[in-house]
Amino acid sequence: MSAFNELLATHGVSRRDFLKYCSTIGAMLALPSTMIPKIAEAIEQDNRPPVIWLEFQDCAGDSEGLLRASRPGVAELVLDHISLDYHETIMAAAGHQAEASKNATVEKYKGQYICIVEGSIPTGAQGAYCTIGGHSAEDILKKVGGDAAVVIAVGSCSAFGGLPAAYPNPTGAKAVRDLLPNKTVINLPGCPMNVDNLTGTIVHYLTFGSAPAMDRFNRPKFAYGKRIHDNCERRSHFDAGQYVENWGDYGHQQGWCLYKMGCKGPETFHNCPTLRWNEGLSWPVMAGHGCAGCSEPGFWDTMMPMYRRLPNVPGFGVEASALNIGTAIVGASAAIFATHGAVTVARNWKNVASAKADLREEIKEHSDDVE
Amino acid sequence: MASTVDTPASRPEKQYECAARRFLYIWEGPLRIIHWVNFFSIIILSVTGYFIHDPFMSSAQHPYIMGNVRYVHYLFGIIFSVNLLFRIYGFLVGNYFASWRGIPNPFNAKDRKNFWAFIRFYTFTGKETPHLLGHNPVAFCAYTLLFALFILQMLSGFALWAQNDPGSSLYAVTGWIFGLVSNQWVRWFHFLVMFLIGGFVINHIYSVVLFDFKSKSGEVSSIFSGWKPDRRD
Ligand code: HEM
Ligand code: SF4
Repeated sequence: MSAFNELLATHGVSRRDFLKYCSTIGAMLALPSTMIPKIAEAIEQDNRPPVIWLEFQDCAGDSEGLLRASRPGVAELVLDHISLDYHETIMAAAGHQAEASKNATVEKYKGQYICIVEGSIPTGAQGAYCTIGGHSAEDILKKVGGDAAVVIAVGSCSAFGGLPAAYPNPTGAKAVRDLLPNKTVINLPGCPMNVDNLTGTIVHYLTFGSAPAMDRFNRPKFAYGKRIHDNCERRSHFDAGQYVENWGDYGHQQGWCLYKMGCKGPETFHNCPTLRWNEGLSWPVMAGHGCAGCSEPGFWDTMMPMYRRLPNVPGFGVEASALNIGTAIVGASAAIFATHGAVTVARNWKNVASAKADLREEIKEHSDDVE
Repeated sequence: MASTVDTPASRPEKQYECAARRFLYIWEGPLRIIHWVNFFSIIILSVTGYFIHDPFMSSAQHPYIMGNVRYVHYLFGIIFSVNLLFRIYGFLVGNYFASWRGIPNPFNAKDRKNFWAFIRFYTFTGKETPHLLGHNPVAFCAYTLLFALFILQMLSGFALWAQNDPGSSLYAVTGWIFGLVSNQWVRWFHFLVMFLIGGFVINHIYSVVLFDFKSKSGEVSSIFSGWKPDRRD
């Protein structure tokens, strides 16, 4: 029995379940079924690259997501099986021991290991906002990420800066891609990322040795290639014009579209409606709440207010919506030109009077002529 | 009596003189068609666009209302855009008044003088404006801004549309916009421009009517007929 089959046995997973899982992943990555054996082979092989998981300005939500990966036990196993050599939150070692193990992996597997980054990187105050083992987050990222085969930025903070980078960005937080411009960085944004997309990306990497096809924001197309709005199960209510107007109203009870409640599905690219969360159980819109747009660049600065469709305009003191500003523009235009018109009429009053007098004269002469 | 028609020519002894030396065909057919297609598209786009922003009508009486409204918006979005491209083409090859050749030249003393005369007229600091056949030079500046907004509106509209398929060739053409501005702000901008256009429309109609009175040169009817009088000042 191969080492991997033993591992399957100890996890109580049958070979059949494992192959089923491989075909699920293959379908998710939009690969033909002939690729399934190759996927299985890639997962089984013994020279899998080790993984270093770095955490910076984060909430550990993506780590939580990783730990909750529980799709029939296999996903967990795949993640176990890629040797997670360093993960501050879940590794047994601590302090110098942990640092030593990280450094050993970086040295031994230079250019071969996978670096996963969670959290944004503060660049303000010479990196003082986040130091680990005496090194700034930026230095650690450049060292560990710079020597990795591939860098995966999990969660919106590492992919786009996320909440720490939201205005006014006190720590000068940056995304991984900003600091490693020459590296292949795969962004898996989301708050948190969906762990099934992470396993999909890793399996793709193990199978093909390269990153999956990505969009302009370096997000894998298999996971971020479609808008939530275009795959949403409430979409027919959108087109039909059936909207939730208030929480708990008739439409809400009927599962109508959440557009008017500020749903950001029309602006958000993610596979939540098809993949869903927690073992495919549900996702926000299914649960009756609009999409918050968490996986888009600039989330928070552009997707808030949560329950309004369009952003408020900053810098106007009181928060001003586009509708208020627009109404003010049209109102000001109307007021200016109405005033102008009134003044013009007043100024020309005399002319009108004399024009009328001329006309009276003219009519008189005209009728004289005709007579 | 044969000659009861009262024209200045029939009564030279009264020294009537038509203010118009002759009539000139200033706005040619295609230009006028473009103007009115634009007029109707903007009204339809604004009404449907506002509905997309805030679907205020209930679906009970109008099944599939949002789908239909979006269809009309996209359809007129295309009509508006093609029309806009025709106008830009006209700007290159149209007659003197419709094309780049009629642009007031800031380096030309006479054009500068005309411009300031109109500014003074608008601000009540002067009463006389020269009689011009083409665009009023202040209005010309407003039209330049307006067409910049039209082009941005076209770009943002198609960019929003292309989001339904980032693999499409349309997205390949418009996707760069989202590298510069997030899609929420693109939408916000697309919404705001509607009001900017609305503010312009008020200005436009007012000014045209104002100068129709002021210069008695058929500003209003010229966009229907194309003809304007070549007036003696
Ligand atoms: C005068 C020109 C136009 C006006 C006034 C206008 C107005 C609007 C408004 C107010 C919205 C709703 C924005 C929101 O609150 O989210 C909208 C949405 C939209 N417009 Fe326009 N628009 C114009 C031209 C165009 C053009 C040329 C196109 C290109 C085809 C276009 C395509 C769209 C699209 C795709 C949407 C989003 C609709 C959706 O989410 O289903 N628009 N427009
Ligand atoms: S609930 Fe949101 S994502 Fe779903 S159809 Fe409505 S607006 Fe689109």
